[in-house]
Amino acid sequence: MSHLLEIKNLDVKFDTDEGRIIAIDNVSLTLDQGKVLGIVGESGSGKSVTAKSIMQLNPGNTIYNDDAEIIIDNENVLKFTSKNDLKKIRGGKVSMIFQEPMASFAPAIKIGNQMIEQLLLHKETEKNQAKQISIDMLNRVGIADAEKRFNQYAFELSGGMRQRAMIAMALSTMPKLLLADEPTTALDVTIQAQVINLMKDIIKEYNMGVIFITHDLGVIAQVADDVAVMYLGSVVERGPVNEILKNPKHPYTRGLLNALPDINNLDAPLKPIPGNIPSPLDRPTGCVFRTRCPEPTHDCKEGNIEMGLIEVSPGHWVDKCCVNCG
Amino acid sequence: MINFIQFTLTRAGLSIVTLLLVCFIVFSLMELVPGTCAERYLAFKNTQGSQITYEDIEKEKIRLGLDKPFLYRYGKWVSDIVLKGDFGDSCILRMNINELLSGRFVLSLTICLVALIFSYLIAIPVGIISATTKYASLDTTLKFISYLGIALPNFLVALCIMLFMTVFYGDTMTGLFSQEYENQPWSSAKVMDFLSRAWLPIFVLGWNATAFALQTVRALMLDENDKLYVMAARARGISGMKLLWRYPAKHSLGPVINSIGFDLNRIFSALPIVALILILTEAGALLIEALARSNDQQLAGAIIFLLTATIVFVNFVTDVLLAIMDPRIRKGVMGGN
Repeated sequence: MSHLLEIKNLDVKFDTDEGRIIAIDNVSLTLDQGKVLGIVGESGSGKSVTAKSIMQLNPGNTIYNDDAEIIIDNENVLKFTSKNDLKKIRGGKVSMIFQEPMASFAPAIKIGNQMIEQLLLHKETEKNQAKQISIDMLNRVGIADAEKRFNQYAFELSGGMRQRAMIAMALSTMPKLLLADEPTTALDVTIQAQVINLMKDIIKEYNMGVIFITHDLGVIAQVADDVAVMYLGSVVERGPVNEILKNPKHPYTRGLLNALPDINNLDAPLKPIPGNIPSPLDRPTGCVFRTRCPEPTHDCKEGNIEMGLIEVSPGHWVDKCCVNCG
Repeated sequence: MINFIQFTLTRAGLSIVTLLLVCFIVFSLMELVPGTCAERYLAFKNTQGSQITYEDIEKEKIRLGLDKPFLYRYGKWVSDIVLKGDFGDSCILRMNINELLSGRFVLSLTICLVALIFSYLIAIPVGIISATTKYASLDTTLKFISYLGIALPNFLVALCIMLFMTVFYGDTMTGLFSQEYENQPWSSAKVMDFLSRAWLPIFVLGWNATAFALQTVRALMLDENDKLYVMAARARGISGMKLLWRYPAKHSLGPVINSIGFDLNRIFSALPIVALILILTEAGALLIEALARSNDQQLAGAIIFLLTATIVFVNFVTDVLLAIMDPRIRKGVMGGN
């Protein structure tokens, strides 16, 4: 069976005044229909850039490598340039939900009009039909009084309701792939739980593939089937969610897990990962994680190691350099 | 709807209060100038050789109603303007101010408004292009031209153009009309003549105003363009001009509308100096004349009143316009209906 989404050898660089920044370094990922792939990592690890690459939403100074491929339905969407092709990956087959539900609605356009606009663009429907689809969708995501909300503006809705509306809008065109870029980060915890439950239901109901970006391993544990841990633009470990959470091999993954508070011993001091993410302008040579690795070797620094991932157990891949660390 | 009417009425009421307050300040300033109108006129007569006695001054004061208390005279000044449209007499020129100003204020206002409209008609599309163009050189060129407009003083631009026109066309381009039309009644030929000359002050004032408006539009567009909702709209497949106009451009219009009243004020403030250089027979030049030369407080007060009234009115209109356009303000005003 072919994959719903296949990212192969993706490199992303940004041309800036300070020089060329490596944002993504040789990332390969796959996602099957009906599955949720969680991408975890700190800010600046390249989670969002990876997702935005799928829709070609990165800013104008972005440079993709020529041999990178992002394949959806046997087409390399990274090579799309025409308006009609881009439409397919922007709102057609792929939809995206952003972190800030308030900021991702245009403030002076009614929610309903933004939904209709998108539907008319992607589906062959009449305006009335598009309105009905939108209202049904708002109902489906649990928005009471959907008809009224349809005619309101984003600022008139509460935070949780806005994110529900955003989900409704993203789903209304029935995409095959949903990119959720920290969809619950800006919400408070009770609303977070509701939105996560809603997303789980909807993923099951529509049987789509989802990339769920977050820095919250707790959320990953709830929603994801597979996890990819990213650090400084590279995937350092990936595999089934239970395997990664129970048997992490990479020191960074272990660090992330250790940094979570222990529910049984709340007085225990939190253990942050020592050091900071290096500046992208000052990218470490050799193994990118060596500046924060508990036991870096000479080889890590010199880069005398094979790069890339190695499979340690079925479906569980770890960075070759760090597989035996710690 | 009821809330909207309420809002409009409140704004109108506030505008009137503002206007009355400004009037009071103007009138008080007129009072603060040493010497009353009667004294000034008789002093003028004295220089012509007439003998003036103390009784003459007192008589003149009573004739002009200057013996009445300050607040009474303020009330009368305002009520005459509002109820009768009568600005009273200029005490130096001994002429009715309405007659003196007739046409001139309208001319000034026309020049300013045309300059304002042109500047926004140019600044809005050009500012949007400047902010969103892929070609850095186009943006740089537009920025350079607009910085020139901000940096060059109006009078210098006016002088340069005058010099150019004199050398190459033998016409200084001063005045608003050619000599043969100067004292003729309005006709289509006179309108054409007016237009053939009025472009100069409109251009001089408009360049500067356009430059400012352009910077405003450009900055607002850059600001809006970076916002998440624009990326979210792109992620939904909206592209091209539709994306540009419906998303960042539409949302940056509010503050642009807000700046119209402010810009009209600035253009009008710049007008007198340009008018002085181009020898325009309009109210801006008259204001300078009244304030700086003849010390004609009644005339200056009348012009400032008219100007303030215009600006207060424009601000009122832009406030209402904003409330209609921006749902965030509209809903606040209408109580969410």
